[in-house]
Amino acid sequence: MKKTILYILLGLFVCTNLFAQDEESADVVEKDKPVRFAWESGMLIDQQTSHIPTVKTLEMVIQHKFGSIDNGSSDLWGIYAPAGNIRLGLNYVVANNVQIGWGISKRNMYNDFNAKWTIFEQTRKNQVPVFVTVYANAAIDGMNRDDVELFNFEEPGQKFDYKFNNRLSYFAQLIIGRKVTNALSVQGAVSFSHANFVPQWHDHDRVGLHFNGRLKVSPQGAIIFNYDVPLQIDGISEQHPDWNSTNTPGWDGPYHPEPNLSFGYEVSTSTHAFQIYMGNSPAMLLQDMMINNNTGIDFDNFAIGFTITRLWSF
Amino acid sequence: MKKYRNLLTLSVVVFVGSLLLSFVTVQDQKDPAPWDVPEKYVKMENPYAGDESLDRVGKILYIKHCRSCHGNNGEGDGPKAASMKTKIHSMTAEAFKKQSDGVIYYQSIIGRDEMPNYESKIPDEEDRWALVNYIKTLK
Repeated sequence: MKKTILYILLGLFVCTNLFAQDEESADVVEKDKPVRFAWESGMLIDQQTSHIPTVKTLEMVIQHKFGSIDNGSSDLWGIYAPAGNIRLGLNYVVANNVQIGWGISKRNMYNDFNAKWTIFEQTRKNQVPVFVTVYANAAIDGMNRDDVELFNFEEPGQKFDYKFNNRLSYFAQLIIGRKVTNALSVQGAVSFSHANFVPQWHDHDRVGLHFNGRLKVSPQGAIIFNYDVPLQIDGISEQHPDWNSTNTPGWDGPYHPEPNLSFGYEVSTSTHAFQIYMGNSPAMLLQDMMINNNTGIDFDNFAIGFTITRLWSF
Repeated sequence: MKKYRNLLTLSVVVFVGSLLLSFVTVQDQKDPAPWDVPEKYVKMENPYAGDESLDRVGKILYIKHCRSCHGNNGEGDGPKAASMKTKIHSMTAEAFKKQSDGVIYYQSIIGRDEMPNYESKIPDEEDRWALVNYIKTLK
């Protein structure tokens, strides 16, 4: 399995270099500009798009997911529910198509430090047919763990020594996108998530696939969607396929995270993008979504949410 | 007791008065001063004049960046126009239309005071001229 992953990574590396050669030859023949208006914002619900504003632009991101709608009108379909998640973020464009950012989430008080680089942009004459973007983050679980008694599975009876290292998690993603028509833009992505600390039996590593897109229905409005699938790859799973409750006391797995589906509507203006949506994962940090999401795509699990971005140029 | 009643009456009068005053907004917008456009822009040629392939681009940019203040048809009646300190004049007026393309470019992209600068939001020169072309078609 490790060989398969290695081949995939090598393949992607070769592909990106092929695009690079195309770009160089394009410069010689004729300057081909990037396509216009592929995305209105760098965010698409919880996910990233290939869009990066112009250099020296500061972007504020406000993400809010309410509680699930399963209680109906008693808590206004989750809007007044105590559960929910919020992420506030700031991104800054340091160089052409390079952005760095920081965000803090309510769930586990994650502090995430992220970077995004759109390596290639789809061009109008199709000399570069797709957008190629890489995104990565490192997050610190900021919860107060001093009062939490964690069971030490390795040495039962001993108190678990929760260290700073246990707070760290990582996410890396390669995004390939294309503006198909003036109305439709789509993206596919592959990601790798790692968390240093997970519940017993759960996997520390997760490979995921992501599909998302935007269908414009008016000059400022678009229907948007995200679908994120955590893959079940036995080769990198720490869960042994032969485990059962007899040979492994306490085992009632297997433990695999659920996929996330979200869909909504986007309205954009000169400096804002406003997205209102419904999604089944309470997570906003992408590695949290890919590793820890245990709420499946069931109508009762969906929650209303919104994402707002605001730009300031300097 | 009478003292408290007077105090209560006074409080009600102040509250109701404040409430009514809150509906009164000062509509005192000043007329814009004449534009001081640098010579470079006055003489600037529009390399995309008459390029119909840019019509859609100009319209999208206008809707995204300009409509909220200048209105659907450039009449200066967008939803944010009333909150400006300066009156927004119609872009369909003859006085506006007879300006050179370079002057309209300067007014639209470089801006001044409440008219924001759009150089970073519309970085591509071709897109800027597409917007100028679209503004000139407003009726």
